[in-house]
Amino acid sequence: MTPPVTPPVAWCWLARVEERPVEAWAAAELRTRDGAAAGFLAVWPAGRKPTAGAVRADATVVDPSGEAASVSLVLVPRDRAPLFDDPAVSGAMRDVLAGPPPDAVSTFVRDSSHFAGAVTVRRNRREALRDDPFARIARAEVLDVGPGLFGRAPAVPGPVIQRYAGKPWPAAGF
Amino acid sequence: MTATQPAVVDLSPGERFPDLELADHNAVRRRLGELAEGDPLVLNFFRGWWCPKEQAFFRGLVRLQDEMEVAYTRMVSVSIDEPVALSAFRAGLGARWTFLSDSGRTYVDALGLRETTDTLYRPYVPTTFVLRPDLTIHSSYNGYWFWGRPTLEDLRRDLRAVTRSLRPDWEVPR
Repeated sequence: MTPPVTPPVAWCWLARVEERPVEAWAAAELRTRDGAAAGFLAVWPAGRKPTAGAVRADATVVDPSGEAASVSLVLVPRDRAPLFDDPAVSGAMRDVLAGPPPDAVSTFVRDSSHFAGAVTVRRNRREALRDDPFARIARAEVLDVGPGLFGRAPAVPGPVIQRYAGKPWPAAGF
Repeated sequence: MTATQPAVVDLSPGERFPDLELADHNAVRRRLGELAEGDPLVLNFFRGWWCPKEQAFFRGLVRLQDEMEVAYTRMVSVSIDEPVALSAFRAGLGARWTFLSDSGRTYVDALGLRETTDTLYRPYVPTTFVLRPDLTIHSSYNGYWFWGRPTLEDLRRDLRAVTRSLRPDWEVPR
């Protein structure tokens, strides 16, 4: 019998930046759906905040050898960020659990109590990104992201939507 | 545990439940220990979507779902239905937890959970387990007769006991 998997306690920094960072854990170019350059998305390991605009994300979505993908990216300005316990945020997470699972998904946090956005990654059914539940909370951009950033994470088991100790959802463990 | 093991495993309280690996309702292979994600787990085996008793029981579980999603508790349901049937049943119920398909009857005999009185479908006998995060069995319910199944109060009581034993801060830190 294989011992049960103990999920890692893992989060990382994520930021959208103009230039490819040299010291990031992983980074990839962003392009709009019509092919225009739209900056870079980069991640750094948990630790010192790498840049002022960085938010915390679930590290299980990151794979430096991952294939190119499309993403729905929601980044909520600090002064407009709703509480994570706002029913609009809880409802969006319920809809993620109920719907066809994306290749990967993570919410973002800046502090212990506010929703800072989310990223939803798909390689198939890319049209489903237009129905990103988190887009009901703040404006979402559907972008193409190059290889070397996002992997495939197992679908969130559910039904838990609560976060542990201010970490991004669905990062597990205390 | 493998499907070729002839011995029936002991599913008594205190024993470790096998870390099953099956396709989920999206046809993606999942392990039970991974789905627990470090939380207590309600695991139920059911006959299939067609059984009126299962439909009644699942309507109750869906009512409990709102509590489980805020209480760091997971739920997994297993039957011999194909993933596409499980996916439709799950969506129709409004369930947001993972359903697993053992359409190949991989584990039904090794677990000793075959409903021998149904020689046509050879389904699982309805059985519910409350497991600790490491898959140790806390309690089990034989639901061959409907009243043998756990009520929602039974599950709340069991999950309270498991969570109390797991969380060192169950008593409010002073």
